Amino acid sequence: MSIAANSGNFSQRWLRRQEQPRELDPLLLWPAVALLLFGLVMVYSSSIATSEGSKFTGHSPTFFLVRHTVFMCIGAVAAVVAFQMPMRAWQQIAPYLFLIGVALLALVLIPHVGRDVNGARRWLPLGPINLQPSELMKLFAVLYAADYTVRKLPVMGSFKRGFLPMAGVIILVGALLLREPDFGALVVICAIAFGILFLGGINARIFALLAVVAVVGFVLLIWLSPYRRERILGFMNPWEDAYGKGYQLSHALIAFGRGEWFGVGLGGSIEKLFYLPEAHTDFLLAVIAEELGFAGVLAVIVLFALFVQRCFAVGRTALQLERPYAALVAQGIGIWIGVQSFINMGVNMGLLPTKGLTLPLMSFGGSGIVANCIALAVLLRVDWENRQLMRGLPA
Amino acid sequence: MSKRVTFNRNPLLSSVLPQWRSRFVLLLLLLGFVALVARSLFLQGVNNEFLQAKGESRYARVIEMPATRGRVVDRNGDVLAVSTPVKSIWAIPEDVDLKPAQARKLAELLDMDVRDLTRKLATEKDFVYLKRQIAPDVAQRVAAMGIPGIHEQKEYRRYYPGGDVMAHMLGFTGVDDKGQEGIELAFESQLAGKPGSRRVIKDRRGQIVEDVESIRAPQDGKDIRLALDAKIQYLAYASLREALETHKARAGGIVVLDAKTGEILALTNLPTYNPNNRIRLSGAQLRNRALTDTYEPGSTMKPFTAAMALDKGKFRFDTPVQTAPGRMTIGSATISDAHPHGVLTVAQVIQKSSNIGAAKLALSFPPEHMWQMFDDLGFGAPLKLGFPGEVGGRLRPAKTWRPIEQATMSYGHGISVSLMQMAHAYLVFAREGDLIPLSLTRIDTPPLHGKTVFGAQTAREVRAMLELAVQPGGTAPKAQIQGYRVAGKTGTAHKIEGGAYANKYVSSFVGLAPASDPRLIVAVMIDEPSGGKHFGGDVAAPVFANVMAGSLRAMGIAPDAPLAPLQVAKDAETVRESM
Repeated sequence: MSIAANSGNFSQRWLRRQEQPRELDPLLLWPAVALLLFGLVMVYSSSIATSEGSKFTGHSPTFFLVRHTVFMCIGAVAAVVAFQMPMRAWQQIAPYLFLIGVALLALVLIPHVGRDVNGARRWLPLGPINLQPSELMKLFAVLYAADYTVRKLPVMGSFKRGFLPMAGVIILVGALLLREPDFGALVVICAIAFGILFLGGINARIFALLAVVAVVGFVLLIWLSPYRRERILGFMNPWEDAYGKGYQLSHALIAFGRGEWFGVGLGGSIEKLFYLPEAHTDFLLAVIAEELGFAGVLAVIVLFALFVQRCFAVGRTALQLERPYAALVAQGIGIWIGVQSFINMGVNMGLLPTKGLTLPLMSFGGSGIVANCIALAVLLRVDWENRQLMRGLPA
Repeated sequence: MSKRVTFNRNPLLSSVLPQWRSRFVLLLLLLGFVALVARSLFLQGVNNEFLQAKGESRYARVIEMPATRGRVVDRNGDVLAVSTPVKSIWAIPEDVDLKPAQARKLAELLDMDVRDLTRKLATEKDFVYLKRQIAPDVAQRVAAMGIPGIHEQKEYRRYYPGGDVMAHMLGFTGVDDKGQEGIELAFESQLAGKPGSRRVIKDRRGQIVEDVESIRAPQDGKDIRLALDAKIQYLAYASLREALETHKARAGGIVVLDAKTGEILALTNLPTYNPNNRIRLSGAQLRNRALTDTYEPGSTMKPFTAAMALDKGKFRFDTPVQTAPGRMTIGSATISDAHPHGVLTVAQVIQKSSNIGAAKLALSFPPEHMWQMFDDLGFGAPLKLGFPGEVGGRLRPAKTWRPIEQATMSYGHGISVSLMQMAHAYLVFAREGDLIPLSLTRIDTPPLHGKTVFGAQTAREVRAMLELAVQPGGTAPKAQIQGYRVAGKTGTAHKIEGGAYANKYVSSFVGLAPASDPRLIVAVMIDEPSGGKHFGGDVAAPVFANVMAGSLRAMGIAPDAPLAPLQVAKDAETVRESM
């Protein structure tokens, strides 16, 4: 008793803390924060030489580091704001957000409004920063597809009323994205939309048909555009034309080979010294592989796997709490982050054809990071509301 | 989940949103991640050697580590040629963004026009030299400006402190630091050294980012110590320059030899050039005349004819030779003396430089004897000193000689030699009739005895005749030096132009001193003097005297004659040599 009295203060606090459910799910939050911070370090490491050696960046080695940090701060603020919004509100504004997204995608295509970089018109100049609507569109697609699915739950078995309207919307968005062109974003948005439809219980036969149509469609798209076909061929055998079409991929593969188990050490990459293009964006993983080896790559994959698994776990809990919208949003974000990170890493390793997709939460890119941060906040919100409901409180 | 909530499962929701689909999608994604792990394992653990080899081939480079070229020093260790480190400034034009003030300052540092600078930087190329081979301190100031995209690289530049004085002797190196002329070429293999090599990793812009291993350390070139004496060389150069100006001559050359060792103490030609600044070089400036040009030596050849006559025992120094009436017809051609002399002794033939006398001496021997002598003296074959373009002169086989040709060759026409060959041949008179090879480098243990051409007695007798030639009553009293006995012979040859003898001359003098124990040989050749005088005794002999006197003193050689006023005869008394 006397011992307990002596140490009571401490142990009581400890116990109380254990009893109180935490406000934010640590298994969701920390992998994401870890990926964000890891990404910041690697963006700096991979861009330090190219930004110092380029007139475009004013020869400042911290050019990308500073910008990435600023975007992460903006993302953090946006996340705090987004976390305040109940899921009910998200659902209400989802169609409008989606419309805004479509409008921005259209706006970006207007000459002199959208900004052209390397033959792709993907950016809207907004004063000091550039907005990439396709990144925001991924988030809007999650919110909207979940809303659509929840509204159409009773008719999910019907091809005409359940599937066709969504297909039409996706075709519209897809057409806009292809005009940019942003093939990578199209793939991700299709995966999100049809993934959510699938989770929403769409007729299995329709879905099988859809899968066939999608595969045929992609093959056609690839075959009809010489630009995309070349990128495909480069991926099949990068060593055949290693200094031409296979240049980027061959350098990414060399980076992996050089890294071996534990890498050449942080900052020691040779590939980032002007050999590997887009080292701080699309090919960030290659630099990680070279500097930190298999251990670094494994850490990234495990963190993403944890995060995605957690998204689905949160989603299923929401479903059990009869919150289908929240459930679909959570799982939709899981699909988004999972598919995009899988494609990006697959591209880096030569498993998939090269396309312009960043590594979510990690690569350099303002709109992408902010969109990812908001998505994370929405997820945490879903989880937080789940806990509130489980405690019998209003969400 | 510690708090799994299952009590309020909605049958409608669970039928429409089946749990298995959620698990299926998650499984697919996780399988994707597993595939990525497997692929990563393959790339980083299995296929890594192949990939690393591919990487090596892209950015591993073996670079050469330049070896410092050896110095060239004179016999006393004075530096004549040295490689100094310099910097070349280059740029990646795309990266350079100059403000006007920066551009002005950079242009000023690089000593170039601002417009030139901006034009060079406006190129589409990835790499451009802004200025090559600038002083390291200037390069340091350029680097201190810290302009992005401007880089420097280390190079060596050959510097010749002696400038145009040593130009023909030393030659020069090209941009690649390889010898192209003179000593630089002759001793290329010793001077060059062996470049080492290192394996390095370069980034895509060519900057070395990692030093992997040293394959071979560079071996610096060896220094070359020449036989040349810088003091004598300067003296010879200055004397020659003055003579060329005085006599308005086209070109000239001087060779100074050490008779005891065969070392070349000086070699100078005019016109010359500054090896440190080789812009606007003409062929005439580049020619190392003493070695690459031949001339008809004229009377300087007569002592050999006399030596042959004495050596074979047919003649003595006082054997009379009839040279009257100063003309002589051989076949269809006629040869003549400048002045008819009547009966002369062999010694007087040399002293007065009589063509008829020399011809008569020569014609008393078969052509083969004379050819053999010329060949023994080294005429007709290059000296093989290692200089580029060294010539051997023209010496036709004896069988093809006509008598008139044998006659003219006896006094140095119809045969051509280089100045160096002539100076070399005079070694036989400076020594005991033997000939030793020449040396460009300093020799510490000279050959004691060379190839015998004439007997020692003959050599001494001809030397005495040559002493007579520079005394009053000879052809070159102006060759005398106070305090030393001098022996030598003038030469004045008509130049051949278009197959005929033109009214242009080559004046020469070859002499040795001190005559009692000859130590130095000085050969002087002046091409086309046009200042009114053209005889060797007037043009070349004073140059000889000047160079020889200075050289003897510079080498600290003891005088062998009493200090007395020189007996220089008036011009009227000087004997005109024959041509």
